[in-house]
Amino acid sequence: MSNQKKRNFQIEAFKHRVVVDPKYADKTWQILERAIHQIYNQDASGLSFEELYRNAYNMVLHKFGEKLYNGFITTMTAHLKEKSKLIEAAQGGSFLEELNKKWNEHNKALEMIRDILMYMDRTYIESTKKTHVHPMGLNLWRDNVVHFTKIHTRLLNTLLDLVQRERTGEVIDRGLMRNVIKMFMNLGESVYQEDFEKPFLDASSEFYKVESQEFIESCDCGDYLKKAEKRLTEEIDRVGHYLDAKSEEKITSVVEKEMIANHMQRLVHMENSGLVNMLLNDKYEDLGRMYNLFRRVTNGLVTVRDVMTLHLREMGKQLVTDPERSKDPVEFVQRLLDERDKYDKIISTAFGNDKTFQNALNSSFEFFINLNARSPEFISLFVDDKLRKGLKGIADVDVEIILDKVMMLFRYLQEKDVFEKYYKQHLAKRLLSGKTVSDEAERSLIVKLKTECGYQFTSKLEGMFTDMKTSEDTMRGFYGSHPELSEGPTLIVQVLTTGSWPTQPAVPCNLPAEVSVLCEKFRSYYLGTHTGRRLSWQTNMGTADIKAMFGKGQKHELNVSTFQMCVLMLFNNSDRLSYKEIEQATEIPASDLKRCLQSLACVKGKNVLKKEPISKEIGEEDSFVVNDKFASKFYKVKIGTVVAQKETEPEKQETRQRVEEDRKPQIEAAIVRIMKSRKILDHNNIIAEVTKQLQPRFLANPTEIKKRIESLIERDFLERDNTDRKLYRYLA
Amino acid sequence: MGLSNDRIRFNVGGKIFETTATTLANAGRDSFFGALFDENWNLSQPEDDLFIDRNPDCFAVLLDLLRTGDLNIPANIPDRLLHKEAMFYGLINHIRTAKWGSFDGNRLHLSRSVTGIAPGDGTAIRAGPDGGCCVAHGSVVHVFDWMLEEHPTINLDYQRVNDVGWIDSGNIVLSACERLGRGGGGMGLFSSSSGELRYKFQVSHDNQIKSYSAGALSFSPDSKIFTSCKGRSNEYGIGVWDQITGKQIDFFYESPGWSLGDADKLQWLNGKNCLLVATLFPRKDNCYISLLDFRDKNMVWSWSDIGSPATVDEKRVRDAIAMEESNSICVVNEFEDLGFIDLRMYGGGSSVRWSSRSRLMKSKMPDEPCYPKLALHEGQLFSSMNDSISVFCGSDWVLTSRLKRSYGGSICDFSIGGDRLFALHSEENVFDVWETLPPPII
Repeated sequence: MSNQKKRNFQIEAFKHRVVVDPKYADKTWQILERAIHQIYNQDASGLSFEELYRNAYNMVLHKFGEKLYNGFITTMTAHLKEKSKLIEAAQGGSFLEELNKKWNEHNKALEMIRDILMYMDRTYIESTKKTHVHPMGLNLWRDNVVHFTKIHTRLLNTLLDLVQRERTGEVIDRGLMRNVIKMFMNLGESVYQEDFEKPFLDASSEFYKVESQEFIESCDCGDYLKKAEKRLTEEIDRVGHYLDAKSEEKITSVVEKEMIANHMQRLVHMENSGLVNMLLNDKYEDLGRMYNLFRRVTNGLVTVRDVMTLHLREMGKQLVTDPERSKDPVEFVQRLLDERDKYDKIISTAFGNDKTFQNALNSSFEFFINLNARSPEFISLFVDDKLRKGLKGIADVDVEIILDKVMMLFRYLQEKDVFEKYYKQHLAKRLLSGKTVSDEAERSLIVKLKTECGYQFTSKLEGMFTDMKTSEDTMRGFYGSHPELSEGPTLIVQVLTTGSWPTQPAVPCNLPAEVSVLCEKFRSYYLGTHTGRRLSWQTNMGTADIKAMFGKGQKHELNVSTFQMCVLMLFNNSDRLSYKEIEQATEIPASDLKRCLQSLACVKGKNVLKKEPISKEIGEEDSFVVNDKFASKFYKVKIGTVVAQKETEPEKQETRQRVEEDRKPQIEAAIVRIMKSRKILDHNNIIAEVTKQLQPRFLANPTEIKKRIESLIERDFLERDNTDRKLYRYLA
Repeated sequence: MGLSNDRIRFNVGGKIFETTATTLANAGRDSFFGALFDENWNLSQPEDDLFIDRNPDCFAVLLDLLRTGDLNIPANIPDRLLHKEAMFYGLINHIRTAKWGSFDGNRLHLSRSVTGIAPGDGTAIRAGPDGGCCVAHGSVVHVFDWMLEEHPTINLDYQRVNDVGWIDSGNIVLSACERLGRGGGGMGLFSSSSGELRYKFQVSHDNQIKSYSAGALSFSPDSKIFTSCKGRSNEYGIGVWDQITGKQIDFFYESPGWSLGDADKLQWLNGKNCLLVATLFPRKDNCYISLLDFRDKNMVWSWSDIGSPATVDEKRVRDAIAMEESNSICVVNEFEDLGFIDLRMYGGGSSVRWSSRSRLMKSKMPDEPCYPKLALHEGQLFSSMNDSISVFCGSDWVLTSRLKRSYGGSICDFSIGGDRLFALHSEENVFDVWETLPPPII
């Protein structure tokens, strides 16, 4: 202000301050204080709400809000201090009841006091940002009763003791428990958590630590899990009955940690009752329980899965590498299927069809099936066995199931092309010998293979079926055009397309004159209808039915191979023939001839020839006569050739070699396909992509891929980059 | 309690009233009547009249309010008396809700004009959430509650207030200029009832607290405060604070060649999760409008009139408001022509689509013109020009109403909130309160 000098005198405003009776506030407060006492003493029936409300209103209106507020706090505090003494005095079981009773009284009183002080609540407290009456009342209860030193720990211990007693099987007053816990919740989340929940969780943790130790020393795994499950449901139940719903997660995690997570390894590996034992004995219920409990803890399922996988691999490895088992391929595969069924059932009934477990199962099977290089052959043999005889009298639906299971095993194979090789051989044998039981089942399997591996995989197999069908038609046409052939020997020819069938070098052999005449007729008929084709006879694969009469007049029909027929026919003209003579006359290769003679002369009950000298093996100096004393109770006699069901070692090598040969063009094709689209690629990526592309058929060997690349470079399909030798370029 | 027992007789200040407990239950539990009839206070003598030592005339009005939901105040009862009585019974909120209807720009009527003592030139007026308002003049802010009673003034000691805003009915945020050599300035939270400073919002750059000038304000529903900031060492940009903790949580620095720290207007767009920032002529030579996304510190949309032909200077943007529903920004020039910019195209297709509704007003401009301002409320667009406010509705924004009053001079600012519209005049310190009438009887 600049005009200070002008302020010579001042006129004080005449203020007539209305002075309220100085004792007014005290008097009014005394009325209210008395009322609060009466309310706490449950003697409020004589009180006039209107009067009390008006008095409180007047105090605030006349700026005694603070006095009113402080008075209310002081009075309530004094009352609560008194109450806490009463509660403290309560003995034993009545302690909680007394607390609950006083808490209910306090709540009612607080509500009435708030009613009286409503105007203060809305105006004075609002503008001064103090704590409102109701929360203030709760805070006072918390500070003077719940946190009162002589009550605080005693209350907590009483509650924890009750929980402990309930855990050991006693029946407690859950209603009272619920009321007291609810009091904590009403006092605020932090009060509930600090004064009850946290110590409760600590005590629970301690309890379950001890209990789980006890259990694990005395129970087997199954029983332990049963007990853990029971405890878990009990705790969830407890939360429902008298705790805050938010505590459920916390208490269950305590139980999970103490009872499961901390003993996980020990449980799983428990001697004679752990996971492996459960798996071996198909204990679905225990397994299911383990799955459900372990699922709740981190790494629980991983542990279960790892142990299962380890066990599966170990078991599978033993299964496929046991030389005893390899003796019977059908049983070998059947065992695999049984194991697979067993674990499928475990996963679906006990592990809730968990995808990760299914994956573990699949990867384990894939792992050990491929440990045995003969698995593709055995699976094909299994199918062969089923399709030869195993499926007789089985419903179509069941056939499908068996085939589907085989397909499942097939999927695990890394060397699918090896399987294809064997399958082709076995299928050829089945078709040519007419041994296949169900055409439908054969075709169904081919369709499955086709969906699995594509058209390319099965085109040749399908070609084989077509050949069989065409041959039937051709034979009908042949005999139709040669009606004069209805008498004499019957020739049935199956024309096989080269390439579709497993190739075997055509072995020259001299057929008996009767047969070779027929063959010539067929050749001219066939070449007459199909120009530009070449026929060559696969005499090693044929069969013949011949009638034979022996010295004492016994007649038999002999079912023999083409080679055997050639040998036997020689005896129409002579009684005794030496090995050399036979070999000369028939020109059958030595190994085949020996096998064929062996089956004719050395097999008991089927020895239509007699060998001199008598021995098990065929020698070059041996000679043969017809066994006049041949006898059999059957008219038809099947002379089997000594054929190995399973491949012999050299044969195996040969098949292997053929497979490797077949892979070469496939690898090259893959390389060219990839390079055509990528133009430039480095070595590692080529290997990776080729491997990936060929995966559905076989696992390509990196060295082999490298060799193929070299070969393609030599043939100018690719070239190496001039600056970076690791890069390949595609040459269009 | 049977039907007959529902009847209640009161003796209020000597006058007998008869009503029912059902009627009184409309007052709610948190009221005098709610407590009175609570079973805790077992009303012992139902045959006696219940005596209440209050004004019977006001009681009659309030009883009717409980009976009908309508408020009818006879001429002989002053508002203040009635409000005081309502406070006693805990019925003040009943009065407030009955006093005016829900807001409709086309059904407004002038409820009151409130004159103050400052000589005009107000900076801003802001409606509060419950029907109160505050008016900023220079370095002071006058606060009025919904009863239009003035509360203690917020005084900033000669720092100029740039913008004000309500956080809730009890708290007001002020943004103020920094005073050279004195520090201060920035943004503060004040109590609306006592005018006390409750909190001062700080800005820090590189972990150092710096003084700053705060400009336009905006708030988001997830409790953030935005303001345009000018720091001493050219730290210009938009600062963000959390309303609850009061801590600075973000800062969007102004990029060269663009203006953020000088912004005239901020608007939080909830649907787009973006903040509209507009710096307008004459604060800067050009207009800059941009949308900021704070999540990835990205300016997702921007528009400027830099490079527009100089001949169209009458088409200068004076205010802007984003309309999320129609994906556009509405702008207005000094002749109250509305223009629209497309928000879907980056840079808005670089041109403003001006509406043809041009009023040639160059000739009759008042001595002290006020630039137009825009507001949007539930699909209605408001624009102030000179001494009137126009209301536009519908998808093509047709002028449907005009609010005008004869004295006080041009409208320098207006604000909508708490179902009321407040308009502040520039020549005299007077503001108008526009309300919607309660709904008709049938």
